[in-house]
Amino acid sequence: MSLSEQDELLLNAYLDGELGPIDAVSFEQRLAADPVLANEVEARRALRASLRAGLAEDVPSAGLERRIMARLGVPMEVRTRSWRSLAASLAIGALLGGAMTFGVLNEQGRGDVAGEVVSAHVRALMAPQPTDVQSSDRHTVKPWFAGKLAFAPKVVDLSAQGFQLVGARIDVIGLDPVASLVYSNGKHLISVMEMPNAGTPTAPLETHFERGYLALSWSEGAVTYWAVSDMAAGELRTFVSLFQAGAEL
Amino acid sequence: MDHPTDQTRFAEVFLPHLVDAYRLARWLAGSGADAEDIVQEASLRAFKSIRSFAGGNARSWVLTIVRNTSYTWLAKNRPRAVVLTEDLDQPTRERVDLAGEEVPTPEAALIAKMEAEEVRRAVASLPPPFREVLVLREIHDLDYRTIAEIIQAPIGTVMSRLARARKLALNAFQGSAS
Repeated sequence: MSLSEQDELLLNAYLDGELGPIDAVSFEQRLAADPVLANEVEARRALRASLRAGLAEDVPSAGLERRIMARLGVPMEVRTRSWRSLAASLAIGALLGGAMTFGVLNEQGRGDVAGEVVSAHVRALMAPQPTDVQSSDRHTVKPWFAGKLAFAPKVVDLSAQGFQLVGARIDVIGLDPVASLVYSNGKHLISVMEMPNAGTPTAPLETHFERGYLALSWSEGAVTYWAVSDMAAGELRTFVSLFQAGAEL
Repeated sequence: MDHPTDQTRFAEVFLPHLVDAYRLARWLAGSGADAEDIVQEASLRAFKSIRSFAGGNARSWVLTIVRNTSYTWLAKNRPRAVVLTEDLDQPTRERVDLAGEEVPTPEAALIAKMEAEEVRRAVASLPPPFREVLVLREIHDLDYRTIAEIIQAPIGTVMSRLARARKLALNAFQGSAS
């Protein structure tokens, strides 16, 4: 059965949040009573979900920004300055937040945390060592966190799958210390950050892009995880699923 | 206080939207390599007119430039890929036009199982005027008014193209599922 042209437009505007509150309510009432209409809405929601799921592959190569800047004579420090002012505004935000906790951060959405997580990863890459403890042995890395954090982070060995544990460090996200593991894969480094959350117990994978870095976040139990890297989206997602499935033997 | 140079302004206005710019070009051009070419060319155009950017929504300013650059680039380098927009702007083609199109909508569960590659192919099969509104809405998450500004068309056109684009994409799914 086909919808009328008018219903088709109405349905799309409803789906896109472009209906006024009165129209939206009356459309929802029709939706509840009309399975055909409801089915059409669901199909379009699913279309949206699969489009968004496919978009993680679409990131420019790391060289694109560099080529553009070189061609236009944008000095590297201009870029780092705008990057620093971004980091500074995040720091001010954190100070103003005062007693901001992870629960609050989680309620505000992970988008706000993404910038800080990527910035911590970038800072670590700039430092002489990306880790404070350097070891490929999870039995060395995991105890290192004891006494530094109020929780025991998950540390898994993925060397058989091509992701070597390099070591770990402590980062500060919001105002709280978090566990950061560093894995390597070829020339790419991956930071995995683990932080307790007071909000949603489990949340599916979310994708964020910040300054050419890809950050994936998900929650399991009371812990929110972030994986940040400059590697290809597909590879990072492979890493994440291995990490999720990995057991602490 | 020092005056910002064109370079500084460019770095503040254009560079934060590089991924957005790339994604739009990627979906319009169909390949990553072409998209990088297009974004590079768009960055030159943006740089040249950076002084005319009066503030406001930098993202839609950047996307407008990228969109226009995509079409000139495609017309020059991939002439066969460009469907004439004028043909599609005929009022008869603009209508959602569902009469005689008794195509069953695939189940939501079926769509959820589609491979990324199939989704990509379904979207790529849409004529550019429909593809661009779908991408700007679903990938860039823009509202109708902003999309209308970027594609320089009335909101009514955005609405009918989007409705049609979704219908076409769902039909393409149906085709590849059966």
